[in-house]
Amino acid sequence: MKQVAVFGYNRLSYEVVSRLDPENYRILIIDLDPVQIALARDNGLETASIDFRSDEDLKSIGIGSGIDTLLCFFDQDSDNVFLTLSARALDSELNIIAIIDSPESAEKLLAAGANKIIDPYEICGRKIHDMLKRPDITDIFDHTVFGQHDLHLAEVVLPENSYLENSYASHLELSAKYNLILIGIVNKQISDKLHFVVEEFDRRLSVGDILVILGPAREIRAFKRDVENEFCKV
Amino acid sequence: MISKLIVYAAYYLKSSDAYNKSKKAVFDLLENQRSPWKSYFDMFMIGLIVLSIVFLIYDVQHDTGAVGDYFEHTVLVVFVCEYLLRLWIYSDTHIIILQEHERAQYLNIRFSILNALWKAIVKKLEYIVSPFAIIDLLAILPSYRPLRILRIFLIFRLFKLFRYSNSAKLFSDILSSKRFELLTLLVFTCLLIFIASVSIYLFENSVPDGKINNLFDAFYWAVVTMTTVGYGDIVPYTTAGRLVAIILIFTSLGILAFFTSILIAAFNEKMPVLRENRTYAELERYKSFIIICGYGRVGQEIAALLSKDKQKFVIIDKQEQNVDLARKHGYMVIHADASKNEVLISAGICRGASTVLCITGDDVTNVYVTLTSRYLNKDVRIISRVNFNENVNKLYQAGADHVIRPFEVSGLLAAEFLGQPVAFEAITGILQNQTEIVMETLLVAEGSSLENKQIGQLELGQKKLTLLGVISANPIHLKHKNKYQVKQQHFYFNPEPEFVLRHEDMLVIFGRKYSIDHFRDQVEQSRLLGRKSA
Repeated sequence: MKQVAVFGYNRLSYEVVSRLDPENYRILIIDLDPVQIALARDNGLETASIDFRSDEDLKSIGIGSGIDTLLCFFDQDSDNVFLTLSARALDSELNIIAIIDSPESAEKLLAAGANKIIDPYEICGRKIHDMLKRPDITDIFDHTVFGQHDLHLAEVVLPENSYLENSYASHLELSAKYNLILIGIVNKQISDKLHFVVEEFDRRLSVGDILVILGPAREIRAFKRDVENEFCKV
Repeated sequence: MISKLIVYAAYYLKSSDAYNKSKKAVFDLLENQRSPWKSYFDMFMIGLIVLSIVFLIYDVQHDTGAVGDYFEHTVLVVFVCEYLLRLWIYSDTHIIILQEHERAQYLNIRFSILNALWKAIVKKLEYIVSPFAIIDLLAILPSYRPLRILRIFLIFRLFKLFRYSNSAKLFSDILSSKRFELLTLLVFTCLLIFIASVSIYLFENSVPDGKINNLFDAFYWAVVTMTTVGYGDIVPYTTAGRLVAIILIFTSLGILAFFTSILIAAFNEKMPVLRENRTYAELERYKSFIIICGYGRVGQEIAALLSKDKQKFVIIDKQEQNVDLARKHGYMVIHADASKNEVLISAGICRGASTVLCITGDDVTNVYVTLTSRYLNKDVRIISRVNFNENVNKLYQAGADHVIRPFEVSGLLAAEFLGQPVAFEAITGILQNQTEIVMETLLVAEGSSLENKQIGQLELGQKKLTLLGVISANPIHLKHKNKYQVKQQHFYFNPEPEFVLRHEDMLVIFGRKYSIDHFRDQVEQSRLLGRKSA
């Protein structure tokens, strides 16, 4: 189970939290405003009331020990930068995701040690631009991958002793066997970069590689099960 | 008898197609701002006027001979024709006569042809005394030999230029907007000149060797002094006269300052209107553009992306600060409230706008602008932003085609990143065109080589393309599995190799940009070749 600490309870954090499966994530909400804390508690979330400016307080909720991911969702960019800096000093492995209000804060947050910057306005702008430019594709993704229909994007890590080990990407034939489409592969031995299947056609798979696949949930589950099974080949 | 004939002629003209058409054509040429002919005609006239003035100046010291005479005659003929045509299209005499006739018949009184003609003539006179018509006439008259003395008025041809340029009209608009102030000033100035010239005449006329011998000298001195020109050819000698001069100089300084400030204030007031007029004029030239209502953070992102695509757009915002920012980026911007009908209409919502984006940070404004846009244009595409989830339905009710929830989209991406960072990067990379790999659609056009082919025959793998699925509204495909309803169409995910393509289907493929382009070119080529051979 992953432990996620969310600083700042607002509309954005509400959306994120509601999309995380409580079975896989333990979520802790931290906010300075008691009203927001009460709101989060009403929504059935675990909360903590600490001062994010104090390192001791941060340690007390598990940063540097139990927490895997930190979401800096304060409205003020300066608060997010401060929190990112403090948290990064406490734990160099922590996955920090921060939102920004003004675009020039992005560099500051990255310099402070954030792993991922989310700019809601930029995302919204890009989305609208996409709708204007490629309405068909945007519609499909909105209804399927991002929407209600059962079509998902998933990543599957190749475990040890998988039957797929040492086989070629071109021989997977996921579309025929599982009704899945292989989008790309991350070859962990070389780099973290994602290689799209279409360009690097033949590639021998090895343990730790990540396959990015698209398809219905049932098929994804079936594929995941088979990948872990050593003897599936026969 | 004559009146009957005239009425008959009027009816004939009204029903005559050729007459109405030719009148319309002349109107297009001379007055219709939207007609392309007018701009050609204006350019031609400007050239002609400038050339005739050049001849006039050259003629002062040189003899232009027969060529000059011919040219002068040609110019004159063109000017006279223009004047008469303008007089012709200014009003419809036959309509006026008919109206009078019908009125007389309706009221059962005797129809007086003289009365009707008089009304028509008054209408024409109205044109003759309008400023532009007078200038036109003054440009023609001096060419008439007995009136050679009026040669000075040939310079009026230069004033004719004003007719063909909008800036002159603007200048007169500005002056007329300050009519009251300027009139007050003029009255005061006249009074001052009058007092000054009378008093200087009284004081200085009696002086021996004095320069002011009559009232005109006094008036001339007053004007020269008042305008601070002061040639010094006439100077007062008496103490009283000098006192008059001192008072006149100080007062006139005040008047000049007042006059300048009125003009500057008027220009300043008109400046935004001027700018906006330029924007409107530019918009009128575009066939298809996007209206962006609200230039906040989201608006800025979209504007930057659209300008990268070279897509035309106009921004409407009521906040000064945002408008300045947009202007700094060089975008077309209208400083106004987008919820007002006339603002959207003049921005071109009923003419060239393909899409309206309502993306302010305030849901109330977005709903209102959406509603206004939908009311003004039934077919325009409207994309609105909503900040609170409970308002989504209100926006759809107001007529939005799409509603975007920025926090939902960002939240979704954040959650996706948390769970599956690699997949997240892949999909955002493809969707936002950040990688060389892109996802595009390819239409199966009628008669294309793709039509009636099985997916398996396309050999997309060899072309280094991956087929995600097919979008189609064709009910023939409904038997296939893995279909997802997307609006009125279905998306067939990962179709089997036996899937037969029909026309109007759309392939969703992803691959390198140039592989997709190459594939598309091939398909298009084969379609054109196929048509030729058929």
